[in-house]
Amino acid sequence: MNRRDFMKSALITGAAISLPAGLDPVLTALQAAQGPDLAVVRGTPPARITGAAVDALGGMRRFVSRGDVVVVKPNIGWDRTPEYAANTNPEVVAAVVRLCLEAGAKKVKVFDHPVSDARRTYKQSGIADAAAASGAAVGFMDERKFKDMRINGLTLKTWPLYTEVIEADKVINVPIAKTHGIARLTLGMKNWMGVMGGWRGRIHQRIDESLVDLAGFIKPALTILDAVRILTDNGPQGGDLADVKLLNTVVAGTDAVAVDAFGATLFGLKPADLGCVRLGHQMRLGSMDLAGMKIKRITL
Amino acid sequence: MTKIRRLTQAVFLLIFLWLFLQTESKGANELGYPVKIFLDADPLIFITTALSSRQLDFPFLLALLVILATVFLGRVFCGWVCPLGTLHNLAGSLKKKRPPAKPFNAYRWKYYILIFIVVAAVFTLQPAGVMDPIALLIRSLSLAVYPIVQYVTVSAFDSLYAWHLPLVTDASEWIYGLLKKGFLSFQQPFFRQAVFTGLVFLGILALNLQERRFWCKYLCPLGALLGLLSRYALLKRSVSEGCDGCGVCLGSCQGAAGPDLKDKWIKQECLACMNCDDVCPKNAVRFGFSANASGTALDLGRRRVIGSALAGAIAVPALRITPLKKAGAADQQLIRPPGSREEREFLKRCVKCGECMKVCVTNGLQPALLEADLEGIWSPVLVPRIGYCEYRCTLCGQVCPTGAIRNLSPDEKAKVKIGLAMIDQSRCLPFAHGMSCIVCEEVCPTPKKAIRFEEVRVRDRDGREQILKQPHVDLDLCIGCGICETKCPVLGRPAITVTSIGESRSRDNQLLLS
Repeated sequence: MNRRDFMKSALITGAAISLPAGLDPVLTALQAAQGPDLAVVRGTPPARITGAAVDALGGMRRFVSRGDVVVVKPNIGWDRTPEYAANTNPEVVAAVVRLCLEAGAKKVKVFDHPVSDARRTYKQSGIADAAAASGAAVGFMDERKFKDMRINGLTLKTWPLYTEVIEADKVINVPIAKTHGIARLTLGMKNWMGVMGGWRGRIHQRIDESLVDLAGFIKPALTILDAVRILTDNGPQGGDLADVKLLNTVVAGTDAVAVDAFGATLFGLKPADLGCVRLGHQMRLGSMDLAGMKIKRITL
Repeated sequence: MTKIRRLTQAVFLLIFLWLFLQTESKGANELGYPVKIFLDADPLIFITTALSSRQLDFPFLLALLVILATVFLGRVFCGWVCPLGTLHNLAGSLKKKRPPAKPFNAYRWKYYILIFIVVAAVFTLQPAGVMDPIALLIRSLSLAVYPIVQYVTVSAFDSLYAWHLPLVTDASEWIYGLLKKGFLSFQQPFFRQAVFTGLVFLGILALNLQERRFWCKYLCPLGALLGLLSRYALLKRSVSEGCDGCGVCLGSCQGAAGPDLKDKWIKQECLACMNCDDVCPKNAVRFGFSANASGTALDLGRRRVIGSALAGAIAVPALRITPLKKAGAADQQLIRPPGSREEREFLKRCVKCGECMKVCVTNGLQPALLEADLEGIWSPVLVPRIGYCEYRCTLCGQVCPTGAIRNLSPDEKAKVKIGLAMIDQSRCLPFAHGMSCIVCEEVCPTPKKAIRFEEVRVRDRDGREQILKQPHVDLDLCIGCGICETKCPVLGRPAITVTSIGESRSRDNQLLLS
């Protein structure tokens, strides 16, 4: 979703549903239009920089309306503790949950479809406890809720996806930045593998197309990339602290391609080095033209 | 007295079942509950493992306690504690006719079984687990009963969910949520030989229809052991002059103690249920402590004892003259859980209780059939196509009652190899089909990945050049956890497979020079 689309949809939905709330949504939308495309916040602690990044984009109320059911999708893929940077930082996830609830969300769901044993990943990542403590409904994914969806993408035509993601009012992607053998990096778009059912290992045969298809189908309202710690080698699972780099950074934006494009630079890569970013740009899913973007950098 | 006994039995059965349900990961490194205490308290497992392994490096204090209790009180374990015994009581209540037309009166059988087991254990064989009641019960519940219960429950709730009825489905989903928290397994367990072990268990319970507590009276080797220990128990039964020999007590006896024989009763067969005391119309039966000798001595017959002992001794070589014992001839699929002792030591200890299979988070640990020959039947084998060994999980070693699988620390576990992965280039997508894949590399859990790439340029059918990453296994780093095989997208015969070669526990089953 680019800025113009967002303006349009925000104005329309604003006009349609927000009469009792007055002009507020329109105003936030207008504010957002003048605001930055990306917010990059550096500092500690993780919860604070997460909040600052969302604020820089206009605050969570711009993305979450009162009564919304929100899905916050972290990466809880691996049986690793937070310091190994294999899963999204639990404090970042907890902060996002809190912001959503403060913005009036009715319910915030947090889940992922891990590669390692789900019980261990949820627990060992620290995410289940942290998110639940912030008021999220943390649950394991329920096999019954994967439904074949007509994606009609470049590669993925139909695939079983998790209905709770599709049915949610708002979806917020909270990935972590890591290396990956075939995709080079796993950032925001790659995180949507976690809502796929079926034998998803097959998508590696045409990973870039598949990721663009998924990202285009799911259309998150917001992507918050956790780069508090990044995993620079032996990703996506890691396991060696020597491969972990402390950046104390969070990158947020509404353009999933732009967030990933910026994520690439954290590893010293160019946005176009990532196939899914290049393709997402070509397909007009978003922009990888960082130079042409308004990027708000904050250090706390 | 019956009420107190039943209540005690119910309490122990519930504790047992509750601990059984807790034998499952909640995501932490430890389970948090002493899930194996019934096995720890089992004197048969203690004595046979001590004999066969000639070590005492596993917990046995509870077993000593049970031995002590038996020496003083008789077979109270059988009558008041044993969860399988209680299940036999429950199954027996389905039997209508009583007393049995004609008791089998084969109580000596179990002593021959016990002698066979103990003599085999002296010669380092460990067959106790096949018939030990606690091991048998946990194994049967783990492999067959619980998976069936899970399947039935989940199917029922899935149907209600699919029908999407107003209110009904809401209610059923709510109940389902509760069951998932406290009763159901995290995922449907699947086990090889589920039907077989289930039928054996069903058959054992069905024996109660022939005669109540058939198993306890005639077959249970633990019962036999406790019977021998109870020979001089201080808790004794006495029958006063008031007895008119009506024989009501005979029908109420849970063991084969012959309560109607008065002073000639068979003390070793008394389960201390005290039914005879309760039912006696003349109130002539009394249980009390005394130091006087009571009851008839157990006469097993010298020839039969010698015969059982010889059978136990001969079983040892008979089970070990198998080609699988030759280095290099072992079944390559015999991948033992991490921390398992060297195969010979492992088999001396494994009591086939199934705890490790129950607790395995991926369901990868399966009961062996003949992979380790008959001696290793129902011992745990990792079957990577079903489930891999989770890199940071050490639960199987934590629940093993005899140390057949050592309880490793997470750091130790990370260094243990249970086998090695090898790639089948004729099936691997980047090698054989010019397609990119690398799932094996992605999921490889070692801190420095045991799968590395080689980038190659290949041309497709139309002559277009393509860069492919082809995986190679680093044999030094590979620990054989099998996740690559589990997740390999080449279904059917996977393009990467783990075999036991290179396992740390073996001196001979090695590939590399170092």
